Amino acid sequence: MPPGSANCRIAVPLAMLITVLVACDRGPALAHDDGQWTMPGKDYAATRFSGLTEITAANAKDLHATWSFSTGVLGGHEGQPLVVGSTMYVVTPWPNVLYAFDLTKEGYPLRWKYRPFVDPQAIGQACCDIVNRGAFHADGKIVFNLLDGHTVAVDAATGREIWKTKIADLNAGETTPMAPLVVKDRVIVGNSGGEMGVRGWVKGLDLNTGAIVWTGYSIGSDADVLASPGTFKAPYHDGRELALDSWPKDGWKHGGAPAWGWLSYDAELDLVYYGTGNPAPWNTEQRRGDNRWATSVLARHPGDGSLVWAYQFTPADNWDYDSTQEMILTELTLSGERRKVLVHFDKNGFAYVLDRTTGQLLSAEPYVPVNWARRVDLATGRPEVDSTKLTGVTRGITKDICPSLEGGKNQQPAAWSPVTQLFYLSTSNLCMDYTASAASYLAGTPYVGATTPYTAGPGGHLGAFIAWDPVKAKRAWEIPEPYPVWSGVLTTAGGVVFYGTLDGWFKAVDARTGAPLWKFKVGSGVIGNPISFRGPDGKQYVAVYAGFGGDWFLISGDVRSDDPADVRAPATFMPDIARHTSQGGMVWVFGLD
Amino acid sequence: MRGVRSFPAVAVLLLLRASVAAAQQAVPPTVRYDQHVSAGGSAPPAVVPRNPFRGDSGVAVQGSQLFSGFNCDGCHGGGAAGFVGPSMADGRWRYGGDDGAIFMSIFYGRPRGMPAFGGALPAETIWRLVTYLQSFQPPDSTISTTSW
Repeated sequence: MPPGSANCRIAVPLAMLITVLVACDRGPALAHDDGQWTMPGKDYAATRFSGLTEITAANAKDLHATWSFSTGVLGGHEGQPLVVGSTMYVVTPWPNVLYAFDLTKEGYPLRWKYRPFVDPQAIGQACCDIVNRGAFHADGKIVFNLLDGHTVAVDAATGREIWKTKIADLNAGETTPMAPLVVKDRVIVGNSGGEMGVRGWVKGLDLNTGAIVWTGYSIGSDADVLASPGTFKAPYHDGRELALDSWPKDGWKHGGAPAWGWLSYDAELDLVYYGTGNPAPWNTEQRRGDNRWATSVLARHPGDGSLVWAYQFTPADNWDYDSTQEMILTELTLSGERRKVLVHFDKNGFAYVLDRTTGQLLSAEPYVPVNWARRVDLATGRPEVDSTKLTGVTRGITKDICPSLEGGKNQQPAAWSPVTQLFYLSTSNLCMDYTASAASYLAGTPYVGATTPYTAGPGGHLGAFIAWDPVKAKRAWEIPEPYPVWSGVLTTAGGVVFYGTLDGWFKAVDARTGAPLWKFKVGSGVIGNPISFRGPDGKQYVAVYAGFGGDWFLISGDVRSDDPADVRAPATFMPDIARHTSQGGMVWVFGLD
Repeated sequence: MRGVRSFPAVAVLLLLRASVAAAQQAVPPTVRYDQHVSAGGSAPPAVVPRNPFRGDSGVAVQGSQLFSGFNCDGCHGGGAAGFVGPSMADGRWRYGGDDGAIFMSIFYGRPRGMPAFGGALPAETIWRLVTYLQSFQPPDSTISTTSW
């Protein structure tokens, strides 16, 4: 039983008691209880929607900080806390400390903390800061990844390590910042390293023992990608060896396509969905072909990993357009027909709606300014590429490609409100020039081959927070922001949407209109994902990390103060961000009186 | 490539290609990481920690090519200005900036993620990289102070 299971029962209305008595033993089932937040995306559909209604558009102006805690860690704080029963769990960037806070006591003192050894070599192997995207609660265990290629399961009550499994090879450039997804007794994890020439995979581990049950590669032979003729059917391709014949000989061996983003799950179809990263290297001329299944969405059965369908968003990626962004599951009425869909906001700037049973493309419209492709052909599933935006060594410099490789959206997950029928997402408004160069593969070093300076996109603001109507396939409203917006999103049944900004504001806006309701300066830029929970006192709270970093740690100039031997000139496209934020990891909780 | 007279561009490319090929073929991965890092501190006996190319601007240009060719820029950024790894162009050194210290950092690696290239690159190639890293003009003394 998790700690505080008694509070878990008390904190919910009597009518829900029976459900919760059962649910307290089974982590994933708890996701239906809006008092808690037991998995990264709130639920298997990855909606990040909380049914709590105490905080509303009318009273959000009275929000105030009720608690904060310094994690003692300076890396970028992506990811989100979990709340299970009366305990809040926080996993930090490297060195991946796991804190368990007692929400029943004033000041939320720790019940315990778990400090694993995580190899510092991982700092140099992780492409884009030393982030961690969060933990998953299941069966009395907190399951998460250490940056150095291990998955651990920790007893949620005591902090005792139950198992630790090596899943990735640091010496080959693999790191593991992603958040696992647990389905029944299977823990699904993936690797990072698209900039290090790794070969992408997801693995299914046994929840009870940590043993690796299956490995499904993104690229390579049918046997390696777990595609068998009886089970696998790609909606736009026939034939076999699709993830092998779209590569030059042996190109797939260091071809990237890692799985560093978010996973979702449809219990009825028994399918796990996730996106794959860019093909390696960034110089496309070293890997001619479509490079399947890089920059794709894959649907697998979690039990044995078997691949059921796959769809590629950006064939022959020329622009580092990873597709690891979350796949949000819902139902929509499109052309008069009710469809079980998957909605995905790709780095490439298009918002995709797919039939999640088959992978068939239903719509694809730009949600940010896009110029690398004119449209996506719904008959073939392929983008109609503007050939003047193609890149490669022989093309020299390709100018003014929108969006930049930071994507219309990147790691920061969107939210879906079944109440407003809108998606909410944080976007970047950047374009780039792209100069490719020949890349040499050396294990454990970057395998890139491109220089890609950024400029502001149309309008001059570097980001925007938007609401997206998936049926009309257009924006419902938009809030321009001076900097790229890099936080995840929380939306609630109270009609409020929460997000944070790179310059360190945490904001609440009206879910219907986007009208600003409240904001608070949290001390460092926000790249994490807000959550909501009901405390043991019965009140609704909102929690979020502050902690500037991720890609922006690399390219924002002088935002670090911990290393006297590393001072940097301001970024050309964003010269004053360091005026507003430095690194620094904090957990914040907000509530009403 | 401009300004390289004694060592034309083609030769740099050949050196790079040969070095990369050697690195790809002849590197036992078990030697490149743990043992090199844990061995940190004692100089390889054959190497005198004095840069034979110090101040040679032609070699510095070759070094800048090697800096890209061996993916150093993937971590330390274009122009060594800092990226996921620290800036090498700011005149400040976490592990020391004299000839031998920079050489050792490249040869043995450093514990917070710098790979050991000693098994992959001949000493002369490392010295060319050191020459490049030493070639930056002393930075503006105000680089560590920003005002708005």
